[in-house]
Amino acid sequence: MAADWILWPILTFPVLSAGLCLTLHSPQRILGAVAFLGFLWALLLGAVAVTVMYLGTLSAARHWLTLDMLSSYHLLIFGMVFGASSLYARHYFSFEIAHDEFNLEDGRKFGALWFGSGTAMVSVLLCNNLGLMWVGIEATTLLTAFLVCAHVTPLSLEAMWKYLVVCSVGVAFAFIGTLLVAASALELGLAAEDTLLWTVLDGSAERLSPGPMKLAFVFLLVGYGTKAGLAPMHSWLPDAHSQAPTPVSAILSGFMLNAALYCIMRYLPLVEGATGHLGWGRALVTLLGMISMVLAAAFILFQHDGKRLLAYSSVEHMGIIALGLGLGGIGTFAGLWHAMNHSICKILAFFSIGSLGQLYGTHDLGKMAGAMRRSPLWGLGFFVSVLILIGSAPFAIFMSELQILRAAIHQEAWVVLAIFLAAAALVFIGALKLAIAAAWGEEVVVPRTQSSSIIDVLLVIGALGLLLLLGLWLPTPLHGMMESAAQIIGGRP
Amino acid sequence: MNHPSLIEAVLVTVVLTNLQLLGSSRLKICIHMVGLQGIVAGLLPVLLDHEANPLRAWLLVVGSVAIKGIVFPKLLLRVLRDAGVCREVEPFVGYILSLLAAVSALMFSLWMGSTLVLPQAPVGTTLMAPVGFTTILVGLLVIITRRKAISQVIGYVVVENGIYIFGVALVGGVPMLVELGVLMDAFVAVFLMGIAVYKISREFDHIDVDRLNRMQG
Repeated sequence: MAADWILWPILTFPVLSAGLCLTLHSPQRILGAVAFLGFLWALLLGAVAVTVMYLGTLSAARHWLTLDMLSSYHLLIFGMVFGASSLYARHYFSFEIAHDEFNLEDGRKFGALWFGSGTAMVSVLLCNNLGLMWVGIEATTLLTAFLVCAHVTPLSLEAMWKYLVVCSVGVAFAFIGTLLVAASALELGLAAEDTLLWTVLDGSAERLSPGPMKLAFVFLLVGYGTKAGLAPMHSWLPDAHSQAPTPVSAILSGFMLNAALYCIMRYLPLVEGATGHLGWGRALVTLLGMISMVLAAAFILFQHDGKRLLAYSSVEHMGIIALGLGLGGIGTFAGLWHAMNHSICKILAFFSIGSLGQLYGTHDLGKMAGAMRRSPLWGLGFFVSVLILIGSAPFAIFMSELQILRAAIHQEAWVVLAIFLAAAALVFIGALKLAIAAAWGEEVVVPRTQSSSIIDVLLVIGALGLLLLLGLWLPTPLHGMMESAAQIIGGRP
Repeated sequence: MNHPSLIEAVLVTVVLTNLQLLGSSRLKICIHMVGLQGIVAGLLPVLLDHEANPLRAWLLVVGSVAIKGIVFPKLLLRVLRDAGVCREVEPFVGYILSLLAAVSALMFSLWMGSTLVLPQAPVGTTLMAPVGFTTILVGLLVIITRRKAISQVIGYVVVENGIYIFGVALVGGVPMLVELGVLMDAFVAVFLMGIAVYKISREFDHIDVDRLNRMQG
């Protein structure tokens, strides 16, 4: 197709940007470049996603790079998360420059790794070869590891170490799974170059050997599930999210987890096809989803640290998306929709808690009491985003959760329904109590003050507006895109 | 060329290095064992005859022997020197017990190899997949039961070696580009872990992972 060439610039642009960041001579300039180029790249990605929305699948390099509805939908989410986080990074680190906590070396390291990890995430989406997809996921771990300890403290080192080891070893399991998938395709007699191409495997999913494929899926689920933060493999997540600088937390939570879930989505049609569409693979995904929801709810109840609260909320929401995928049918659609809603809302929540944390010098919610009076913009951002995250109507997260509930009722999965409602209720109570205290409680600490720029206001208003809009009205092209993406996961009938 | 006896010699060496690795408290010996394991495992692709493209096999051999046999040990020895540790003191599971566990892992893998119907690439021996799987299990054992951060890096490399052998046994290797990507990822991962161990030893004055537990809940 004529537009296929466009796949190359979206990969080379961030690499060049990373290189540029290394040549600049002041941290302010690097932050400016990150904001400008990051936003520009996000626009480009959005344009590509829209192209796919209207023209259909793009592919280049003999199908090794492919962008279909499922990957371009995730590309759209990534664009929003990355663009907004790049703009926010400027605000966040400017504060640190003003307090002498961010020098030129930090800036160069940040800029290069920031664009580098973005490239890795996008390459996960673009690679049609399942082996290279794995390479991309592992690369995101490696490139973000040093972003987590951008400021070297004992705590951030501890977090980085756990992140690096747990995710590397976890993702190694996914590679064993990938090899087993290749083994399950041996009987097809494919050429070596085609063995791991997703499009080829998907086309003959019914003829893959079910035994190795089942074993493969267990390994893949453990491996990519670790990276996606699904419980009980989530141990690295709260530490890494709470210790990373806020823009990094936002991108970890807002997209990196989704990238790993995306890999699981790619394998669902393969395992379902090989095992005769009996829901074997989906049942496993549902199970992990339920465990994640329950475990996250238990930890949220006893949380004091704002960023850890949001981290556990990510575990919960990854669980919800997994539940949607596991239920299948309309649940798949709802899970995809939920992924977008969660990402938009979670980055806003992180931006807000990050800025409040800078003003108060701590992320302890108890010490932030009265934040709404001191910093109306970020106080509002935090309070409302928590309200949305716990599922308040009529915002988008409430709507997508409702669809997942509908899927559960439709499938008569009463246990799933009961656990979903119980966990969601616990999270609602636990998080609301904390958020109200933080927003309106008796003041304990007098924070520093800082005026907000027009970009800050736009970020908060834009995210809230988008969440409200998506809750009330889903544009038809986007709806169509999500439906086609859900069809890809559900396997072609 | 196909050399079943050579292949089996390689596999036996891998098993022996696994055992030596688990039974030794001196980290230097562990690192040498991992290096040796990397070298012999790296030779596997040229010992198989189903390789359509010998050039590709040799490229892979050179790449993986250089990285796993030379670069990794050098890097790890350097980290060891900088961190100033030489022994694994009091692992969570003792040496004798670890050895017994490794032997059970080997028996389990052999049993699994004989019962589980895995489609086998024609490699001339049925031992390869079980040995690969044993090596993966041994690596995990090292990661879980040892106290020093550097032991975890060693365990990670052992897991990588195991996966490599397992992969050769299962599919006779994946496309070149993938193989190179995986190798590069492993290289960067070990490199970063090395830097992390160094930073941890500077910041904490120790590299005991069980004492990295300040964050909970």
